[in-house]
This record gives sequence, structure tokens and C-alpha cells, in this order.
Amino acid sequence: MSSAEQFKQSFREEAREVLVDLEAALLELNENRADDELVGRVFRALHTIKGSGSMFGFENLAAFTHNLETAFDEVRNGRLQIGSELIDLTLAALDQIRAMLEEREGPEEAAVRAEILVKVRRLAGIAESVPGGSAGSIAQTAPSGLPIRQWAIRFAPGPDLLLNGSNPLLLFAELRELGGLSVKASMEMVPPLADLDPERCYLSWDMVLAAPVDRDAVHDVLIFVEDSCELVIEPAADSEGDARQAGDATARALEEPRTGSGGRRTYDRPDNASSLRVPAAKLDQFVDLVGELVTVQARLAELATRHDNSEVAEVSEEIERLTSALRENSMNIRMTPIRATFEKFRRLIHDLARDLGKDVELTMEGADTELDKTVIEQLGDPLMHLIRNSMDHGIEGRELRLARGKCATAKLQLSARHSGASVLVGVSDDGGGINAEAVRQRAVDKGLVAADAQLTEAETFALIFQPGFSTAKQVTDVSGRGVGMDVVRQRVEGLRGTIDVASKPQLGTSVTLRLPLTLAIIDGLLVAVDEACFVLPLGCTLECIELSSADIERANGKHVADVRGEIVPYIRLREHFDIRQKRPELEQIMVVETIEGRVGFVVDRVLGNCQTVIKSLGRVYRHVQAVSGATILGNGTVALILDPERLVQEALSVKLPSHGARASPRAARSGGAAASLRHVAESS
Amino acid sequence: MAIALHESELGNVVVLEGTIDISSAGELKAILLKALGSGKEVCISLDAATYLDVTAVQLLWAAEQQARLSGAVFRFSGHLSNLVSTTFANAGFPSFQTSVNAA
Repeated sequence: MSSAEQFKQSFREEAREVLVDLEAALLELNENRADDELVGRVFRALHTIKGSGSMFGFENLAAFTHNLETAFDEVRNGRLQIGSELIDLTLAALDQIRAMLEEREGPEEAAVRAEILVKVRRLAGIAESVPGGSAGSIAQTAPSGLPIRQWAIRFAPGPDLLLNGSNPLLLFAELRELGGLSVKASMEMVPPLADLDPERCYLSWDMVLAAPVDRDAVHDVLIFVEDSCELVIEPAADSEGDARQAGDATARALEEPRTGSGGRRTYDRPDNASSLRVPAAKLDQFVDLVGELVTVQARLAELATRHDNSEVAEVSEEIERLTSALRENSMNIRMTPIRATFEKFRRLIHDLARDLGKDVELTMEGADTELDKTVIEQLGDPLMHLIRNSMDHGIEGRELRLARGKCATAKLQLSARHSGASVLVGVSDDGGGINAEAVRQRAVDKGLVAADAQLTEAETFALIFQPGFSTAKQVTDVSGRGVGMDVVRQRVEGLRGTIDVASKPQLGTSVTLRLPLTLAIIDGLLVAVDEACFVLPLGCTLECIELSSADIERANGKHVADVRGEIVPYIRLREHFDIRQKRPELEQIMVVETIEGRVGFVVDRVLGNCQTVIKSLGRVYRHVQAVSGATILGNGTVALILDPERLVQEALSVKLPSHGARASPRAARSGGAAASLRHVAESS
Repeated sequence: MAIALHESELGNVVVLEGTIDISSAGELKAILLKALGSGKEVCISLDAATYLDVTAVQLLWAAEQQARLSGAVFRFSGHLSNLVSTTFANAGFPSFQTSVNAA
């Protein structure tokens, strides 16, 4: 990638973040239309996109944004009122800016953009001729009416400013558009030629700007570089508009040598930056390498044990300690607050509320809860479908809410919180709740359950996640095709998560997704059946009990165990995975917690705890549901990582052989477990 | 963009042509070091330069300082293009600008 393309890519990434903030500010502004702070936030975001877009060669984007910026400057100056039309137009424009960032330029987009601009100009009373692509001048388009003020500006860029594609000279040109500007460069940090890094910036500038603008307007020009520079903007004269005093101040500011720390840059901020931007792919690669290191470390530990070498064992332990710390650190780097994902839905809720004619207030709880970025990336679709479903089917219209004695404005809450090794992400509303009887009836009509089936509330609600299931009387643009909730189920299961639905008639519905904190490494329990090794996630493992031949006889051959008076069905991994070697006299049952209740997995031996790097099985094995991945053990062998939930579902789905019917050997073998599971499930 | 060094018995001439910015900063530094290394007079020809960015300005400044310390003659020649003049003025280099104008 060329330097120019790198700068453009860097701009794209930063602009996307600015757009997220802009969208959030617009939606907040829609709720609090008199909030000047929010108006300023919107204006600054637009100004940043325009200014930096122009700097990085996105001239069309800069020209397009210019009109919006002007409109919000009119709002800032009290000449234009915030209304739904301006908010919606700006939101629509924001979508176009996103498209322009991706350089999607077609006749359709051009027409939409032209229409938006016409409406914005009409609304804000902007003349047709606008500076195309220019960074533009706020002062030119919107005389502020303020007296001329003198601003002393100290601008000391960080050393990498030029490498980032920023050009101070363009910033000075933009400041000049606000008013008269005197500039004095300081060369004192320029090193001898031989020591000079030609791509670093060693200069700093003292400027005095005389312009009819407030501090924010000056700050807005430099906002894009403020994170990578030392920036001071302060009034240069005590008396505003006093030209003589201002002139003196200008002279003082430019002529007086700066002393102390204020006069010299004592630090280069980028070198001391508290955060830095790293491409996600590099992070993934880093975590993969740490994973490899964990595997190699396990091999080393195995070797040390096998050769009974204390010196190697000592080194192995030290490496294990370091690897463990490195693993923790790399996992922490991947952890990202869920806030950005939640914030993304403000817009969706705003648009849906408008389209459906409903008043909905969004609240968030636990938005700073952190999850592995891979989990967060895959959470967007399920949350979107849950929100759409809630907005369309859960939340009632205004009239119905009022008739039911509810507040006309419905509440929709997005929440997140940690729970052990999982995170609980919730979508709750105070709508009409799920009509359990309608769900049941629909399931009977579709042949999913028998007409006389006795379903628990949880089982009934679980039906809504079946493919093609919908109780909606009509299909709308929003939902009703019975696809969305199926997608939720698939995605959540793909993340090794579970779904819990709670609903009360007239009070609302709450859907909670229980998801693992990370998909990369899990704490597991290593078990063996004959020579085959398996890993069970430690988080769901409750206990381990022995299973003797006598126990099997007492259960009359049924796949159930008596665990302190509780009947627990079990699945033999030996049978499930078709391992034909003879079982030992004494086996072990690993009891795990699943959504079906407690279930046991029978193994030959329990080998102990392990921290496991999850490796994908690849596309060839993508249909193997009961295995969530594989890992390489210290001795180089592969262990399959089991997904207890899916293993149980798989066992339950095995058809019991009926008289005269031919059943597969595996179905016949697993039939005992399935029957036991069904029996326990039905009797509980 | 082109940066050339013409060496002669009388002195070294560094000719800057077109846009001199961060992409050519490394080359400019190397040529300035070579030109100054001979101990002869160094003349920077700006006739054909159309744009100088901050990296070029600080390199020329550092070269001028090194020449001054070593007692070598360092001067500019040629007429500045409008764009270069504007760059110098906008960047606020009064003493540097003087030395260019005096050439």
C-alpha cells in the first residue's frame, strides 16, 4: 500500500469513528434540541470530516459536508432551529458520507446527495454556490457578528504529524480564512543536519489570530491534529475588539521569547501516547502467535516431565509463567467495550420508531462491559434482529399503550454485564410481551409440537427461534418473515452462547444472550476415552463422579446416574464418537450444566485442567455441531473441544429405533442416552 | 520532483525542482550532507522549485545552521515561485525568508 493510500485508509478509520460520534450526537440532539453543547459537538464533527477529508483528497466529501457544517453553524448562531427535518437530513447525509468514504460513487448516490443538499440549503438559507472541495470558511458563510478578538495560539506538532499526512501549512491557510494571522516559527528544536530525521516535524509555531470568532471556531480548525500536538489557544488581549491592545499583544506574543516549559516542547506527545491504533488483522496474528506459544510451552512441559529433568522443568515453569501472563495480556488487548455496538443501534431505533409511528426511549446499562472483539463483531446481527422484533411486535403503538395505562413512550433497554466466564447481553422492552398461547398454537399448526404437548414457558418461548417461525399476522418491512430470530439462534450458538427469554403479558419481554467472554482461549478440563482426548469447558462443568458396573446394573442399563438423590442422564462419549475399544471397569461421569438441566458425559479418565487455544476445525467439519474446535496438546496430539449444549441437543435429536424400522448403529447406540435425556426432561 | 547536486571547484550547487516534500526529504538530506561535506560554498537553487513543505524548510534551515557553524558560505539563488514564497510566508520563517530574498 502506498503512503498516500495508507493516509487515506487512516483517514477513513478515523472518520468512521467521528461518524459514530456524530450519529450519537444527532440522536441525542433530537431528544434535547436546546442543548448547545450537542450542537457544538455535531458542528465540530462535521468540521473535522470536512477539513480532514479535504486534506486527504476526499474533495467531494468535503464539499458535501460543507453545507451541513454551514447549517449547523447557523444553528450555533441562533439563526436556525433544530427540527426533525434537519436531524433526518443530516442522518441521511451521514449515510452518504459513509458511502463516500468507501468511494461508492454512482448516479443513484449522486442523485440522493443532490437532493439532500437542496433540502439542507433550503432549510438553512444557504446560497447555491458553495466552495467545492475547499476547506471552506465559517466566517465567509456565516458572519458571526462577534467583535474582532485576538487569539494567541501555540501549536507544537508531535514528531509524526507529517508522517500522518497532516500539513500544518493547510491548517494555517484555514486559520487565515477566519481573519488576520501572524505566524512565527520556532526552529529551536531542529537538530543538527546529520541527526535530523527528515520525515519528523521539529518545528513549532506561535500565532496570533485577529478574527471575529470565539475560541471554539479556532479550536475547530485544529481539532483534527490536537491529539498529536501541544496546543494552547488563549485570548491575546484583555479588551475584546481593542485593536491597539490587540496589536500590542500580537507584538508581544511574537517577539517575547518563551521561557520555561511553556517555551520549549518538553515532550513529544505521540511518543508518550496513551493509546495507539493497530489494525485488527495484526492483533489477530499476535493472538495466533501467542496461541502457538501456549502449545509449544505445553510440549516443553510434557518433555520436562517425561525426561524427569529438573533444569528443563525449571525453565519450563518460568516459560509457563511468562506465557500465561502474555496470554492474559493478549486477551485483554482484544477486549473491547460493547458501547460502540450499542450506540450503533440508536440510529436503527430512531428510524424504526419514526417508520412505525412509535415513541421509544433507548436506555443502556453496562455499555462499558468488555468482550472479546470477535464476539462483539458477531453480536451485531443478533442484536439487530432482537431490536427489530421488539420494535415491531413487542412494543405497542401509542394509542394501545395509553389504552393499557402505559406511558406513550416505550422503553427499550440494551444491557450487558459479566457473569463468571460469560457475559450477559440483554434486549428488554416494556411492550405487550409474548403471547405464549399464540406461539404454542402456531407451533402446533406448523407441526413443530403435538396438539396435546405440555410445554413449559421456556420451551414455548424457545419455539420463536425455530426457522420460519412467526406469529405475525402480516409481514412488514421490519419483521414477520420468521427469519430474524432463527438468525439470532444460529449466531448465538455459533458463539457458543445460549438464549434466555423472559416475558410477561402486558409488561414486556427480556431476551438475554449468555456469551463466552472470548472465543480464542478457554479454560477446560481434559478428559480421555481410550486414546482419544477431549476438552470440556470448565465454566459449565459441575463435578466428577465415578460410574461402576454396579451403578449401571442398578440403573437397569438406562443411561442415568443417581447423584445424591438426583437422577442425572448421561451420554457416553465412547458411544457418541464411535470409539470401539472396551470400556474400563470404572468410568468417570463429568456432570455439566446445560439448558436441558444437568447432564453427564461418561469418559474413561479425567486428565486435569488445561488452558486451551481453540483452533477452528475448518470448513470441512463445519457441520460437526457437537465439537466447537480442536486444540493441540503438549504431546502433539489433537484434542477435540466439546460443546456440551450441542452434544446434548444432538443426542436428543437421535431418533429412537421403532419396531421394524432400521436405525443407524450410532442412533441405536445413542438411543439409550436420548431416551434417558427425554425421560428425565419429561419427568422434570 | 528532482534534486540534483552539481559539484565544481568553485562550489556546490543543489538544484531543487518541482515539489519538494516528505517523499523526497530523505534524498534532500543526503544531498545537503554531501554538499556541505566538501567544505566548499553551497548554493541552493530554487528557480525551478514550485513547492516546499515543512520537511524541506527544516532541512534547509539545519543545513544553513551547519554551514554557519563550520564557516562555510551557504546561500540561496534564483527567484522564488509564488507558491514557494507563500509557503515561506505562511510557515512564518522571517530570517530564513530574508536569506532567500537576499540571494
